[in-house]
Amino acid sequence: MTDFVEKTTRKRKKWTRNDKQVYFMAMCGVAFLCVFAYLPMVGTLLAFKEGDRAIDIYQVLLTGKWCGFDNFANLLTDRKLTDIVINTLGLNLLLLVFNFPAPIIFALLINEVTHLRYKKGIQTVSMFPHFISWTIFGAIIVALTDMTTGIFNPILEAIGLCSQENPINLGEAQYFWVEMIIASIVKGVGWGSIVYMAAIAGISPELYEAAQIDGANRFQRAVKITIPMIAPTITVFLLLQISKLLGNSYEQFYSMQNAINLERSEVLATYIYRKGFTQRRYSYAAALGLCESIISVLLLLFSNILSKKFTGRGVF
Amino acid sequence: MKNSAFLSGFALNKKTLRHFNWFDIINYIFLAVLAFITLYPFWFVLIGSFSQGEDYSGGGVWVWPRIWSSASYIVVLKDSRFWIALRNTVVRTILATVLSVGFTSMVAYAMSRPNLKHKPFFQWVNLFTMFFSGGLVPYYLVIVAIGLYDTFWVYILPSIYSVYNMIVLSSFFRSIPESIRESAVLDGAGDFRIWLQMYMPLSKPALATIALWVAVGHWNSYMATMLYTRDANLTTLQYFLMRLIKEANVSYEGITWEIRNDVTPQTISYAAIVVATIPILMVYPFLQRFFTKGIMIGSLKG
Repeated sequence: MTDFVEKTTRKRKKWTRNDKQVYFMAMCGVAFLCVFAYLPMVGTLLAFKEGDRAIDIYQVLLTGKWCGFDNFANLLTDRKLTDIVINTLGLNLLLLVFNFPAPIIFALLINEVTHLRYKKGIQTVSMFPHFISWTIFGAIIVALTDMTTGIFNPILEAIGLCSQENPINLGEAQYFWVEMIIASIVKGVGWGSIVYMAAIAGISPELYEAAQIDGANRFQRAVKITIPMIAPTITVFLLLQISKLLGNSYEQFYSMQNAINLERSEVLATYIYRKGFTQRRYSYAAALGLCESIISVLLLLFSNILSKKFTGRGVF
Repeated sequence: MKNSAFLSGFALNKKTLRHFNWFDIINYIFLAVLAFITLYPFWFVLIGSFSQGEDYSGGGVWVWPRIWSSASYIVVLKDSRFWIALRNTVVRTILATVLSVGFTSMVAYAMSRPNLKHKPFFQWVNLFTMFFSGGLVPYYLVIVAIGLYDTFWVYILPSIYSVYNMIVLSSFFRSIPESIRESAVLDGAGDFRIWLQMYMPLSKPALATIALWVAVGHWNSYMATMLYTRDANLTTLQYFLMRLIKEANVSYEGITWEIRNDVTPQTISYAAIVVATIPILMVYPFLQRFFTKGIMIGSLKG
């Protein structure tokens, strides 16, 4: 017993100058997170108070009356919210189905290109849109789909889907999802493929040589060797993607929204902004945000458990 | 080592290639079409920006401007709001990048040290924020409460630290041989000095990657401007652009009597897009090189 006490006290005394410096440096990070990450988490208490349209919101936050789950009950009766959840889930599921495999397929295809210059050229071009902001990307989509000056209406006319007298307005809400998905693929495919390219580059060439001796053709080698070898990378990215089913990039959607397509382009991220900032329903928006965060965490944990069960791998 | 893995991959491909078959032909054509789809929209905007406005609104300009005009550029470049936005964006990007890389790498160094006490505590405090956040409204309230609202610092301080970048950097720091640090310790250097004078210079490629990462994010972001500022003097380029595109009836200072037919809101916004894209285009060769490396660092060692 005394021996143990002695040991622990000695351990405590062993803080060298360098230990203190390192501790201080790490503490700077914690201090930052306390202000910009943990303080907002305390602020979510607003979701349990009546702070909608409050004049002094801090007063409400500190001394306001608790109202339990009233704000959350209001969420359930919000008719608009149903549409928004459908938009969010629908779009994200479609993005998962189309945009998630796209970089993998792209990486596999580009891996089959043997001409080095061609390969580099394609990669250079495909990665470029990633560095362009959604503001610009959204504007470009509006430009391309414009009824008179755009590029799509003449194409549709040429293949007989519409005519000069009866043009299709691609800015309408019903086309928004398709446009968003195509735009996301174009913007993300090259950039997304880098991780898979790195994973493919790490595969031992001996595997391919052995398969070739056994008579496997290129397609078989891709399916039987490349894909299983990059499966861990795919799993990790798939899990992270699933946890984002409720979250969208705010900037991506806001920059493409307008009054015409709002019906199909309003997602949770932008709705929270509209409620919290335009309508000043602080508590309502905080409740909505809290729900989103919690469901996202649950989705991540759930998909992680599933993945561990079926593939033996998880993010954590 | 990473490069040799890459190279052996290529060498293998060459070796295993017996003949150029139909799959290759389709693959090459498909990728070329993809590249075209990626590049054409930018070309479309470029020719639109150099078109005469009245003529352009008739439609049919897809390959080359029918009537050339640089009036849209004159309007954009004469607009004082554009220059204010550009100035703010440049200052913000440089300042935020330098401070963010410095601060994040300092924490990353500490987190990579074996002699950091209470390490699990630090790891959990950091990791938790990656999965759970307070949400938009509470965050806004914090920004207002600490007095950052409507100041230039709202662009800099909240993004001075990133957990994700910290993880990437600290895994890089871990790969630096411990012997280097030990020799410095023998010479009497403290950990702070070792980080600043040894680890920082040694990890230039990783720092450059993170720096470019942060810089592009700041250049392209408009959310902070929209949510946390009101002052027109604090506007940023992307926000200015978004306003220009979304609100077609913004008035322009630069439209004079002579060029009023040469421009439309459309061509003006195209010109603004081109002007805002040029800086990205200029740094793109560096971006591509460093980014690819950075992802490799993150994925192979993380």
